[in-house]
Amino acid sequence: MSSAKDILKKFTELKTLPHVAIKVTQLVNDERSTMHDFEEIIKLDPVLVTRLLRLVNSPYFGLSQKVGSIAKAVVFTGMTQLRNLVAVESLRGMFKGDDADFSAQKLWLHSATVAILSGMIAKRIFGKDSEDVFLAGIIHDIGLIVENQVAGEPLREACKAFREGQGPLVECERKAIGTDHAEVGYLLAKDWGLPQEVLDSIKSHHLSRQIKDISSTGSILQLAEFMAGKMQYWPIAGPLEALPSELTEHVKGKMADYKIIIRDLPGEMTKAKELYESDE
Amino acid sequence: MSEPTFDDIFDELIDVNEELQGFLATLDSLLPEASTLLLSEADVLLAGAHPLALSPVARERLAGEARKASGFVAGKADNGACCQAVYLAKLSAVLIISSAVAPEDDWLSGAASVSLLRNTLDLALYRQEREMLVADHEQSVRQINLLQQQHDKLIKDNYRQYRLNQDREKEYARKLESEIAKQTAELREANARLEEISRLKSDFLANMSHELRTPMNAIIGFSELLSEASLTEEQLDYARTISQSAASLLTLINDILDLAKIEAGKLELEYLPFDLAELVGNVAAMFKIPAREKGVAVSCQIDSRIPKRIMGDSNRLRQILINLAGNAMKFTEQGGIDILIDYDREAAGQIVSRFAVRDSGIGIPADRVEAIFEKFIQADGSTTRKYGGTGLGLAICLQLVELMGGRLMVASEVGRGSTFSFVIPLAEAPAEIISVKEPRDACHEKTGGGRILLVEDNAVNQRLASILITRQGYEVEVASDGAESLEHLRNQAFDLVLMDVQMPNMDGMEATRRIRAIEADPALRQDYVGLRARQQPLAIVGLTAHARKEDEDACYEAGMNGFLTKPIVKAKLALILSERMPA
Repeated sequence: MSSAKDILKKFTELKTLPHVAIKVTQLVNDERSTMHDFEEIIKLDPVLVTRLLRLVNSPYFGLSQKVGSIAKAVVFTGMTQLRNLVAVESLRGMFKGDDADFSAQKLWLHSATVAILSGMIAKRIFGKDSEDVFLAGIIHDIGLIVENQVAGEPLREACKAFREGQGPLVECERKAIGTDHAEVGYLLAKDWGLPQEVLDSIKSHHLSRQIKDISSTGSILQLAEFMAGKMQYWPIAGPLEALPSELTEHVKGKMADYKIIIRDLPGEMTKAKELYESDE
Repeated sequence: MSEPTFDDIFDELIDVNEELQGFLATLDSLLPEASTLLLSEADVLLAGAHPLALSPVARERLAGEARKASGFVAGKADNGACCQAVYLAKLSAVLIISSAVAPEDDWLSGAASVSLLRNTLDLALYRQEREMLVADHEQSVRQINLLQQQHDKLIKDNYRQYRLNQDREKEYARKLESEIAKQTAELREANARLEEISRLKSDFLANMSHELRTPMNAIIGFSELLSEASLTEEQLDYARTISQSAASLLTLINDILDLAKIEAGKLELEYLPFDLAELVGNVAAMFKIPAREKGVAVSCQIDSRIPKRIMGDSNRLRQILINLAGNAMKFTEQGGIDILIDYDREAAGQIVSRFAVRDSGIGIPADRVEAIFEKFIQADGSTTRKYGGTGLGLAICLQLVELMGGRLMVASEVGRGSTFSFVIPLAEAPAEIISVKEPRDACHEKTGGGRILLVEDNAVNQRLASILITRQGYEVEVASDGAESLEHLRNQAFDLVLMDVQMPNMDGMEATRRIRAIEADPALRQDYVGLRARQQPLAIVGLTAHARKEDEDACYEAGMNGFLTKPIVKAKLALILSERMPA
């Protein structure tokens, strides 16, 4: 049995957190940072520069002109968008591997779907910035990747127990591993220095609880997670958790809105292909 | 694989009856007076605000007909009123309606009111689609607003970054400036240190030269005296050789001293009138003997437009010309040497003239031209041995010409000869200034009579000077320092004092000041035999190894009447004694 800290410690001994992603997150929080500081950090990794520019120029951003430099990308999309893209690029490599019990590849598609759906809900229903919920969506299941790396066998046991209906996934994880991916993911994101609301949303995305603020990052993430699960964008087969009643009521009151979101999702996913499709 | 729909995802939210009731409520709002019944697939019976009274049998029959038919089916309500039944595929339900909008006759005749009713039903049926459109529109508005906000935020953030960058640039520029200032200060300090070191070096060199001059003084003096003694031919030859060697050694010491002075920035040019033609003639005359021995012609030529008498430093100009002509003579075996002074132009009231010394000697290879102006270097390393010389001459000439406002240049061709030239401005001497006579080589030997007090600390110099003075026909008494000279004056009378400047105990400056102070005080004067009876101040002539202008000034300032540089040259001593000694 291991605690979330033990799991994360073992993981960081194997892999370092992407340095660039951490630096970039610090810059976003720094009032005195400029596009040049971004460029200075990112240009150390020429592969990253190429990939970021490809993402920025993808249909997902729909920029009217082609962006040729990181500084210009900051000018056109903002620092938080760029932080998200760096996160996408840093995490993409970790979501590799595919087997019957646990598919990291499918988990990546799931994460991307939740991120895109969360973004749509934030923008279209609540009219608020989607950067943080997008990031939360991309990173919310990183805990599973960590567990897969350092506790692969117990994780598979937990997945099996979950599939057989022995309880919610997080409970099965706690039984088999000693902690769950929400806790591990929360700690990792904390080390990363991500915003508090993103941390909270990672920690609570499997929690059945009373929701006070429907428009919070956590509740949007939970709703998107539920919708993605229903759409089969979910790598671990097993019974889906029910939606908290506040969210059910919210959707009921905005059925037309959610019908539109579900209608438009495939188009958005196509536009964002560059974000979640692997290079191979 | 078909895309999942809302109903697939939120299946538990879908309540069929709720949808049917929604339809009836919409219909009620559109046709408030109409009576309605709605029969669902699952045989659930619903009604609007005014339920239509219809027996279950009639209802079932009518519904059955309506499901089969493609349009409206007419029927009768329990109260005998006309009603219409229609299957609504969208809701999977049968609607039975009785409305005053479309009475029975209209249905039979197909009047416009029937179409109106049909359209009203369609309107109620597409309530959901309308809601979707509204929601769609609202979402678009929210997204547009959000984009607007993001756009504003980006602009603000970009402006913030722009300001930050500006600040940083300013900061950078400020740092750069202070860094440059710091480095400049450091360089300046280092430069000052180097200059100080250079000055110390020059001072050392000047002092060394002084130390060298003192024994030189003795060598030259005594070898000259020796030459005049009755000697065998062989002895005379030895004495002359010593004399010549000492003379060339003195030249070398003078060159080093000159260079040190120039480098220490202590060389000042005089500005006095002199006769240019006479100067050039003297220089040419100096080379007559070696020219005759070598079979080389020496000529000089001055443009007639150049005034006869000009202002400047005749000694330094002579030094330059002697140096250049000496070089020419050294490196020329046949042909001639020409000293040419040409009129170039007139500028700012001065006559700009070109001085040239042309020879038909060995010439200088092109790649060595630069080097010959360097100190201690000659065109060919081997020439030092073949032709002798220190290589200091041109370096000094170069500096002197620069001080005069010109630049020394050379044009040369190997085997054909070289021409050294410089262009300097010359000012004509004002007519009223009376020329200072060049010291002539007049012989004043044994002309005078009288007592001279020689104050000199160095025993060898004491002897030499004593002999020279005695030969001039004067009596001489010797004191070893300033204090001793005062003692002599207390007891004896003298016509003149030759006062060495640098001495231990009391130097010549101090002694002179004391003598002048005693002369000025009638009470004190009485104690000094050598001073009390005098009508005029005692003549004091300084002796110094330093020939600098400020050394001369310092002598006059201390109260001296004249000034002689060491080593003592017989002719100069004779001249100054003849001038200063009472007739």
